[in-house]
Amino acid sequence: MTHDAERAAVEAERAAAEKEAALLSWLAARRRVAIGFSGGVDSAYLAVVAHRALGTDGVLAIIGRSASYPAEQWATARRVADDFGIPVLELDTDELADPRYAANPSNRCYFCKTELWGKVVPVARARGFTTVVDGTNADDLDDYRPGAQAAREHAVASPLAELGFAKADVRLRSRALGLPTWQQPSSPCLSSRLPYGTSVTAERLGQVERAEAALRALGIEGDLRVRYHDDLARVELRPDVLARWLHPEFAAQLCAAVRAAGFTRVALDLRGFRSGSLNVLHGVSAA
Amino acid sequence: MSTRPAGDADALAAALRAMGIPCDVESRATLAIISAPAQQVARLGAPQARAAALALARQHGFTHLAVELGADANEAGAALLRR
Repeated sequence: MTHDAERAAVEAERAAAEKEAALLSWLAARRRVAIGFSGGVDSAYLAVVAHRALGTDGVLAIIGRSASYPAEQWATARRVADDFGIPVLELDTDELADPRYAANPSNRCYFCKTELWGKVVPVARARGFTTVVDGTNADDLDDYRPGAQAAREHAVASPLAELGFAKADVRLRSRALGLPTWQQPSSPCLSSRLPYGTSVTAERLGQVERAEAALRALGIEGDLRVRYHDDLARVELRPDVLARWLHPEFAAQLCAAVRAAGFTRVALDLRGFRSGSLNVLHGVSAA
Repeated sequence: MSTRPAGDADALAAALRAMGIPCDVESRATLAIISAPAQQVARLGAPQARAAALALARQHGFTHLAVELGADANEAGAALLRR
């Protein structure tokens, strides 16, 4: 690492630590805080810092479980909570029962978060947790996120965004605090693998989840998505591993794994993983 | 949400063949799916070939380019390749 790069890294660490100090104060001032907890990078970090600020009695991590929530992520959420002694409550949510969600419009996330916060917030308040927070960070504010409106409607606060935490800050501080999630890839809900307008069903989500799990079992690490296109699965991997998986021997393994999950045809995206890929395909954001 | 016009699959297939990749291309809106024999698929792993193919796809109106795996073992893909 060059001297300049070292200095920049030290500065980034310092800035992130300052933000964490502000976050500890923000949380301490609220006394009792419930967190919408998915086990993702952001909510895991927020839950751990909240536990440091408020202790076991002052924090409650609430997991909303549904068909669109990957089992792998649930396992991560439980592991973080167990490792750090964070109290957890699990609630079942059923966004698929809402036809406005199941129709998969471009503002699908609004209906999902309406269901989630509509269950989480009353339960939290009934237990004396007057402040409910989510893990939205400052980078998220630049994305197309209709779910944020539902959070506002339910008075859910986003302290990471409010205090200027970028994703990189969250990762830096997660590593410093020993969270296993610090380098975990982002993992949005399984419905994000279905193009807008393709109805969301438990069967389709199951297909996607099985296919992604099968690819992980082949040893594929890091960012990975199986995008649902009816009979065809379009697989997005990190660009640096594409050559390997296009080789006939490995391509056959990948293909067999995804077909076993219920797809007839399998295609590998030549650009590789990109967040919000289906938004581009359907003209919601720029290519 | 806007709807983009579909890309031109025939033109992209011709351009890829001119690049030395014998293939067919199926269009699903702005997603192009290449069907080619396994050895040709492997050639697209080279960064330069991949970049060139992606540039051609963009040029012909596609936002996404994917290559089918096992296309020569797949009935639909085999039919395409027999044409």
